[in-house]
Amino acid sequence: MTPLLEVNGISKRFGGILALTDVSFNVIEGEILGLIGPNGAGKTTMFNCIAGVYKPTSGDLVFTLGGKSQRINGRKPEKMTELGIARTFQNIRLFSALTVLDNVRIARHCRTTSNFFRSVLRTRFQRAEEKEIVDASMRWLDFVGLGHHALANASSLSYGDQRRLEIARALATEPKLLLLDEPAAGMNPKETRMLVDLIHAILDAGVTVMLIEHDMKLVMTICKRLVVLDHGTLIAEGGPKEVRENPQVIEAYLGRGAAHA
Amino acid sequence: MLEQQLINGLTLGLIYALIAVGYTMVYGVIQLINFAHGEIYMLGAFFCVTFITAAGLPFYAAIFMAILCCILCGILLDIIAYRPLRKAPRLAALITAIGMSIFLQNVALMIWGSRSRPFPQTALPPFFREKALVLGDVSLTWLQLFIFAVAIIMMIGLYLTINKTRIGTAMRALAQNKTAASLMGINVNYVISFTFALGSAMGAVAGILVSVYYNTLYPTMGYTAGVKAFAAAVLGGIGSVPGAMVGGVVLGVAETLGAGYVSSLYRDGVAYAVMIAVIIFRPSGILGKSVIDKA
Amino acid sequence: MNIGKSLILLVVAAVLTYPLVPQSSDYIIHVMTLAMVYMILAMGLNIVPGFCGLLDLGYVGFYGIGAYTAGLLTIHYGLSFWVIVPLAALNGALWGALLGAPTLRLTGDYFAIVTFGFSELVVLFLTNEIWLTRGPLGLPGIQPITLNLTWLNDAWYFEFYDKTPNFYVVALLVGLVFFIMRRMEDSRLGRAWYAIREDPLAAASCGVNILNYKVIAFAISAAIGAVGGAFYARWSMFLSPDMFKFWESFLVLCMVVLGGLGNIKGALLGAVILVSLGEVLREVLSSLGLPPESRFMAYGLIMVLIMRFKPAGFFPAIASSGRSNPLLIDLQKRLAARNVPKEETRDAAT
Ligand SMILES: Nc1ncnc2c1ncn2[C@@H]1O[C@H](COP(=O)(O)OP(=O)(O)OP(=O)(O)O)[C@@H](O)[C@H]1O
Ligand SMILES: [Mg+2]
Repeated sequence: MTPLLEVNGISKRFGGILALTDVSFNVIEGEILGLIGPNGAGKTTMFNCIAGVYKPTSGDLVFTLGGKSQRINGRKPEKMTELGIARTFQNIRLFSALTVLDNVRIARHCRTTSNFFRSVLRTRFQRAEEKEIVDASMRWLDFVGLGHHALANASSLSYGDQRRLEIARALATEPKLLLLDEPAAGMNPKETRMLVDLIHAILDAGVTVMLIEHDMKLVMTICKRLVVLDHGTLIAEGGPKEVRENPQVIEAYLGRGAAHA
Repeated sequence: MLEQQLINGLTLGLIYALIAVGYTMVYGVIQLINFAHGEIYMLGAFFCVTFITAAGLPFYAAIFMAILCCILCGILLDIIAYRPLRKAPRLAALITAIGMSIFLQNVALMIWGSRSRPFPQTALPPFFREKALVLGDVSLTWLQLFIFAVAIIMMIGLYLTINKTRIGTAMRALAQNKTAASLMGINVNYVISFTFALGSAMGAVAGILVSVYYNTLYPTMGYTAGVKAFAAAVLGGIGSVPGAMVGGVVLGVAETLGAGYVSSLYRDGVAYAVMIAVIIFRPSGILGKSVIDKA
Repeated sequence: MNIGKSLILLVVAAVLTYPLVPQSSDYIIHVMTLAMVYMILAMGLNIVPGFCGLLDLGYVGFYGIGAYTAGLLTIHYGLSFWVIVPLAALNGALWGALLGAPTLRLTGDYFAIVTFGFSELVVLFLTNEIWLTRGPLGLPGIQPITLNLTWLNDAWYFEFYDKTPNFYVVALLVGLVFFIMRRMEDSRLGRAWYAIREDPLAAASCGVNILNYKVIAFAISAAIGAVGGAFYARWSMFLSPDMFKFWESFLVLCMVVLGGLGNIKGALLGAVILVSLGEVLREVLSSLGLPPESRFMAYGLIMVLIMRFKPAGFFPAIASSGRSNPLLIDLQKRLAARNVPKEETRDAAT
């Protein structure tokens, strides 16, 4: 079976820094793929390349949708979203002056079409679409458990709720592939448990998930497969057990010499 | 005729360059277009004339005092208007800068009236209007030579300050990365104040030179000159001090040639057109970095 | 309906009937008409800094383009005002798009300075292209607005030399622009703009094409400015290039800032306050022997103080985006009715 996303030899250079060097791996439809590595390993940079924020310096991204493969590297973020790749941010980036509902309604942008004229004239089509936008947004808010906060201000949410709102916003774009950048960061144990359930629910809804996470326990329990980056290079790939026992990984995390200890 | 135009353009361009470095340095350290910089330039001219007429100071002493006053104005401008907004959205700081520019301009208008006035000629060294050099059709007055000398000396001084002193190093560090600079023990606000002081001094000198050169000063003079100098800074690549110098000279020459050979009616238009064209086609300017909005 | 709302309606009704009162003063009608012209401009400008978070320093350029488009079309082709308004709007939008498309991908500061340069170029063009605009002499003899209803009744042909009909024409335009603004604000378009203002990167990740939506905002804003200009041309019946200098842009920006960036009703109030303040200051300053331009000192100070102490303006979000939308009212009711414990809500959707 062709993978949903093929990452082929991606490199990304910032001036003198090589943030990613020739990284290749596949994302298979229906899985939760963990992307781990020490601080500064290049994980977020990898996400930014996949999400179209950065243009890879070299290499290919191949996205396969309905049996049709296309090379997508260098496309704009909005094109990636349209294609079915959504993401959350490591540092929460909500539209904080707007309501919770509006945050999600904006995410319906790429799945709706009303333009200036329709909006001013409030045509029947536009009104139906607006209703559809509210309904869909509420569906996703309920999905992450924030429905009752719909009309609150996004900035008034707790930290954990803000993270879940980002997930709802990403889901509202109807992605095939969801990129979660450290979703559990700053969450308390109860919120983290809810997050695990949520990620499984997302998977059940037919969305493939790629997850960056520093909480190893979390990663090891929910990911069947992991990709490990260190200093911008891929150092290991495989199941949680394999990866945990890989000397290179231990060395990357614990420093030189630790593998022999 | 071309040579004469080039010389006139060069004179004007050096003055633009003096103003432009003020824009570029402030932009470098706090990423703000200090629209009120043009007003500091205007104030420089007015302070100088006031010190000559009201206090009876000789020309060079008046220049010195005017520079000091402008430095004070520049530092106060930053402390009162911009410092409280360092963490505010960029739009707020930019609107404040516009507001301060208009405010200062109208304060000057209230104090000195709206009519333009001549520079007190009796205070000037008498040889200024005499020709220093005549080569065929081309002539160069002592005043022009004086402007060249002052501008070039100030540029060299600025270059040395930025590249050879501790505070200059701190300025460059700040322009690179504000948080890192403050972590390394640089007193950020002090360096920013110093930057404003440096820019204001250059602006004040430019204002005085212009008012002597054209023998006129008026409260709205900072407005067009400020925009043109900003255009020069953009042309050279905003944030780049050598760029601002090059940009000022190029713009001054382009403007004089444009007025001489294309249409004198569009004299100011040349600066705006150059600026828009540069921003559209080469936003990083001649010597600057990219400014395309990443997001 | 609450008290505040009825009060506002009452004031609006009083203002609208004022010109019909026999004792009404021409001067007050004139000032109110002027205030309404600025209302149109302030609402239009609000789109760019208020909705999209970009500083536009050249708004008066589009006002001037609209005014001269109207003036020239009237003088040379004798077109009716009602035909000219859409044409001026189109011309404004065209220039807005032409200027915005190449420059809106730059960071905000560069954009601000480009708009400034553009409006200065407009003034230079109006001053120097004498064959077209008569230059500094200005463009006199523009016909007033006419209303031709002879197809209904042979006697119904009106020329609006008087202050009162002009007052109602501009009131109509204000109403129209207000209506359009409110509908844009609460729509997919308005939400895309808010997203760009709040966080461009997150907006792009939601699928908003940032450049396109900025250009649309700029073009619509320009079109509204041009409509204001078109009315102004036919109302004042005289145009000259120095009516369109940077000061005007600054004044309109000040109105928007005073009313609160992104607040439509605030922009209306800002226009009323600053036009009235301008009239008062004109009197006070001349009695003090100061030049009338020095009133801009007050405007400059207002902007600085507001940005420092009340960055959301003096009338913070009188109505947040589309609260009166039936969809949201309905949703609010549903949420109130639901009242279920937090934990169970999620599975309901799956
Ligand atoms: N826009 C950029 N410009 C320059 N360097 C960058 C940029 N973005 C990332 N880098 C560099 O690339 C490297 C990888 O950064 P990245 O943010 O991808 O790490 P990460 O694996 O996500 O780390 P963390 O776990 O701390 O989030 C770092 O050295 C960082 O400094
Ligand atoms: Mg990261």
